[in-house]
Amino acid sequence: MKQRDDWHLTDALHYEHGRGDPFAAAVRATRMPMVITDPAEDDNPIVFCNVAFQALTGYSRGEIVGRNCRFLQGPDTDPAAVAKVRQAIAEGHDIDIDLLNYRKDGTTFWNALYLSPVRDAQGVIRFFFASQLDVTERVEAQKIIDHQKKLVEQEVERRTADLRAALEAKTILLHEVDHRVKNNLTMIGSLLRLQVRAIDDPAIATKLDSMLERVDALAVVHRQLYQSSDIAKFDIGTFTENLTHDVVGSSGRTDITLHIEAQPLFVDAAHASALGLIVNEILFNAIKHGFANGRSGTLSVLVENGEERGIVKICDDGPGLPSKQRTKSIGTALITRLARQAGAEATWSDNEPGTCVTITFPAKD
Amino acid sequence: MPNKLRVLIVEDEMLLAMDIEALVEDCGHRVSAQVGSLDEFEELPTALAPELAFVDVHLARGSSGLDVCRRATMRWPRCLVVFLTANVSKIPPDYCGGHGVIAKPFSHSGMVNAIDFLAHAINGPGVDQPRPAALIPSPRLKQMLEASQS
Repeated sequence: MKQRDDWHLTDALHYEHGRGDPFAAAVRATRMPMVITDPAEDDNPIVFCNVAFQALTGYSRGEIVGRNCRFLQGPDTDPAAVAKVRQAIAEGHDIDIDLLNYRKDGTTFWNALYLSPVRDAQGVIRFFFASQLDVTERVEAQKIIDHQKKLVEQEVERRTADLRAALEAKTILLHEVDHRVKNNLTMIGSLLRLQVRAIDDPAIATKLDSMLERVDALAVVHRQLYQSSDIAKFDIGTFTENLTHDVVGSSGRTDITLHIEAQPLFVDAAHASALGLIVNEILFNAIKHGFANGRSGTLSVLVENGEERGIVKICDDGPGLPSKQRTKSIGTALITRLARQAGAEATWSDNEPGTCVTITFPAKD
Repeated sequence: MPNKLRVLIVEDEMLLAMDIEALVEDCGHRVSAQVGSLDEFEELPTALAPELAFVDVHLARGSSGLDVCRRATMRWPRCLVVFLTANVSKIPPDYCGGHGVIAKPFSHSGMVNAIDFLAHAINGPGVDQPRPAALIPSPRLKQMLEASQS
């Protein structure tokens, strides 16, 4: 009780000069607005306020002392924040919170309130000490930041949605184009097959058949590409093995023995069509010239993926093709030039008897 | 030469239907009917009893070859149904009860080998030739082939 009386004493007698208790003098003179309330009195009224508090709120000492702090609240003060302060007082612990308060002239300010109980030696709460700080600028700045952050987030969301829509459109377009490529390749093959059937001249039919085989080879390349997991790579080994089985099987030539040793050999998908055509030409040349007129024999296919180079080697054991005849055939020209285009090299050698064609790929870097 | 098969073609692109018909006939089989949509398929007499059906996935008037496959396998339980499509990924894992798929664009040799292989599977007793790469078998066809080998 004595301590409490001291406050009143210093307040009454030494307010103007800051005399008496040096701590009390410091509290009076500080620029930090402060109040002290007395919970022992009815409605926990303010029993002390310093000059800085008066300057902040616009009220005079006489208008402040004896009132509960709630007189600073107004219509826009957050009731939830007020409830928290009330709860802290009721439970006797300190609290740090931002409140919207009102000055005497009705203007508002953001009050960073720090409130703590002051206990005596027995632990009984004798006073509440509250410091206030006008943080309107900080709160307003935070509000602006929050608002701008929200705007930026909305903008990011909008642009992300745009990008997603664009990607979706591109994906649909890609599928559509891919689908058209497949359908067109299918139709070209069907058109050629129907045309071949309608041609009476065997020489023309044979030429058209070769064309059909080439279109078919391109179709098989395309199919293998879009069915593989990595569309940037093309496995010429698997392709060669499958195409060999297919063309020999469908030719009805049960007299041709197949000897196939094919490792997977991956090449750049950009060269897939060229290499597919090359393998097709070599296979059909072997069947038509190496095993001409029903001559039986062995067709050997070797695909090796070596460390220094990859090779595709296709050999027949037929009579072989004279070099003069080779230069005339479009097949040979196709093989040579397409190999060059694909960064590979085509070489012919004697299989004694028969012919070997070897496509050599340089090692990848 | 295996027995002549009765083959059904379900394809709405006439050019492809004509080509497949010719391929089937070149292999020594007979095309019993060709339809381009689910409606036309429904009108086929049950007595048609095809042993092999080639079915496109996208059919005329917005109908689906997947539905054709489901009904075909119910109507004719002994019929092998093979999809012919550029949309292999649209086929569900159970193939709607079907037996396999040949991806478009197909090649002449790939088709001929697949038809021969399927004819052997249908006529039995066992299939000794290797499965052509062009024909992707369904789990159901794989089971059938394994059963016929053992």
